[in-house]
Amino acid sequence: MNQSILIIIIMSMMRLTVPIIIAALGNMYCLQAGIMNLGADGMMIAGAFGAALTTYFTGNVWLGVLVGVLAGGIIGSLHSLIYVEFGGMQNVSGLGLNILAAGITTFLCRAVFNSNMTPSVENMFTTPALAGVPVVGDLLMQFSPIFYIMIVLSFISWYVMAKTVTGLRIVAVGSDPRTTETAGINVWRLKHVCVITCGLMTGLAGAYLSLGQLDRFVEGMTSGKGMLAIIAVTIGRRKPLKTVAAALVFGFFDALQLQIQVKSGLNLPPELILSIPYVIAVLALLFGSSKSMDKVNLNPYVKSKYEF
Amino acid sequence: MRNKLKGISIVSIMTPVVIIAATMLTTSALIMTTGANPLNAYYYLLTGVFSNIIDTINRTIPIAFTAFAVALGLKAGLFNIGLESQFLMGALAGAATGAFITGVPAIVHVPLCLLVGMLSGMLYALPAAAMFVGKGANLLVLQLLFNSIGTLICTYFIAGPFAGENPSVAATPRIQATAQLPNLITGPNKLSISILFVMFTAFALWFYLNKTTSGYQLRTVGDNADAARYAGINVKKYHFGVLLVGGALAGLAGALDVTGNFYRMYGNYSPGYGFDGIPIAMLVNGNPLGMVIGAVIFGALRVGSVSMQTKAGVPVEIVKVIQGVLIMLISAQHFIRFLVGKYIKKGERNGKT
Repeated sequence: MNQSILIIIIMSMMRLTVPIIIAALGNMYCLQAGIMNLGADGMMIAGAFGAALTTYFTGNVWLGVLVGVLAGGIIGSLHSLIYVEFGGMQNVSGLGLNILAAGITTFLCRAVFNSNMTPSVENMFTTPALAGVPVVGDLLMQFSPIFYIMIVLSFISWYVMAKTVTGLRIVAVGSDPRTTETAGINVWRLKHVCVITCGLMTGLAGAYLSLGQLDRFVEGMTSGKGMLAIIAVTIGRRKPLKTVAAALVFGFFDALQLQIQVKSGLNLPPELILSIPYVIAVLALLFGSSKSMDKVNLNPYVKSKYEF
Repeated sequence: MRNKLKGISIVSIMTPVVIIAATMLTTSALIMTTGANPLNAYYYLLTGVFSNIIDTINRTIPIAFTAFAVALGLKAGLFNIGLESQFLMGALAGAATGAFITGVPAIVHVPLCLLVGMLSGMLYALPAAAMFVGKGANLLVLQLLFNSIGTLICTYFIAGPFAGENPSVAATPRIQATAQLPNLITGPNKLSISILFVMFTAFALWFYLNKTTSGYQLRTVGDNADAARYAGINVKKYHFGVLLVGGALAGLAGALDVTGNFYRMYGNYSPGYGFDGIPIAMLVNGNPLGMVIGAVIFGALRVGSVSMQTKAGVPVEIVKVIQGVLIMLISAQHFIRFLVGKYIKKGERNGKT
């Protein structure tokens, strides 16, 4: 009995962590390159809406995922345009993107469906293709295909940051853009690539929310998951594997509160359990070292042709 | 020299104008995608505002207070986004004090509600402020976390310990008659004396920032924290103080809204007042009179958008879109200023030759 509850919690943790891990890995590129992306929630909700809308009209989930990813990328490129290209205020821009994306998605949702959620669409809760795998096939097919994409992305992110020249260049651009430019690297192009990659990945996380976890788009469905992703990166000190581990902690408490709410034998108020991930994040900021952030230069690096 | 001065002033006036015009254009394009006529929609927006002037003023009050709090932060070089939950804490504490303390004359009860609300907002700002000043933790991340926690705390209290007489509605009980703010006007809608608090705070803010030594030091901290530190100004003290006073202002706004307008607190109380203050304060660069005007415009948008939805079929979320576009453009305002300046210079050169 206890063992089965543990398995349920672990399975549900795996499912609930998928969007946080994907978004956190995307934001890791951003932070490594010296860009604070407070607009993660906006990118995620744009991805969720784009995916649900496209799937509703075409009936093809993979096309939906593609549009969701692109929608996140568009929001990411807006952030990139304002901060990297124009040297704007990145925190203000990120906050604006959150409000703008939340507003536009609900606005369009109401205009098209006359409600703050879309009707039920095709989903991708399971991976039937893996059912044929011997012994563990039944277990493997219970996860969404995006879960497997997440595993691949985690590996790629680790490889890029630890083993490639590009990874080194991203770190260099983030810590000292002037020196990096002197070394002959196109600082702005690399920063643009990092922010847009972050947008694409966070859009994928959003597509998972509306297609892999729920079969529709609902207003405000990200509920601060983008923020949790950014905090996971901060706690994981911008290292891919540590970031994934931090995101798993958030996922565990998300799964735990869901179980407690379903069982409700403990009679705890749901708000108390819902606040656990946030309280843990506050404690992590309180007791964790903030030194690793000091190495990142979060000031805009403005092109010399805009002299102001 | 005179030309240069003139050029600078034209740029400072033109930049907000360009930003607002670009926002209107973007919003109109979005309204057109829904098949509605933007001019028609704006017409219903205005008629909605003018038929509910008092309601608009009531909406203006909390927005003005959060704008003041944001402006105080900006002047000290901080970006304060924790006001949303501090406003809610003030409203919750004000509603509880107003409803559960009985048998006190109004002359004591009303100030008590406001004071408790103010202190709650300030106390709720304390942990994030202390962690930012003491440990150098990321203020924005902290404040967003505390916003999420604060919303949950309020939901818990409204549904649990402070639940009202009707269990099917998530709201606190109606506050006692002794806790209600006196009204200036009672018909057709009521307008409480909270508008006087806004005027007084606007004046006090202007006086503090421009006429006192402490205000001057605060602005120095915001302009150049390193220079301020070398000049012997305690930068941390100002950062800490600005965050706490911001919390107190937001808490006071919450208590005023409860005791002067709704007489109880209900679920999802704030429609985003804490974030409304940010674009307003940034657009007018913390000028108190400008912020009051900006707050009236934002209050009008909130009131007018309801009639826009019912009569022109444009979803109320258009307010969020307008705010989002406005904040995005404000974040790039240095660049827009640069472009405007370049354009004006070019025009002058063409005019001379």
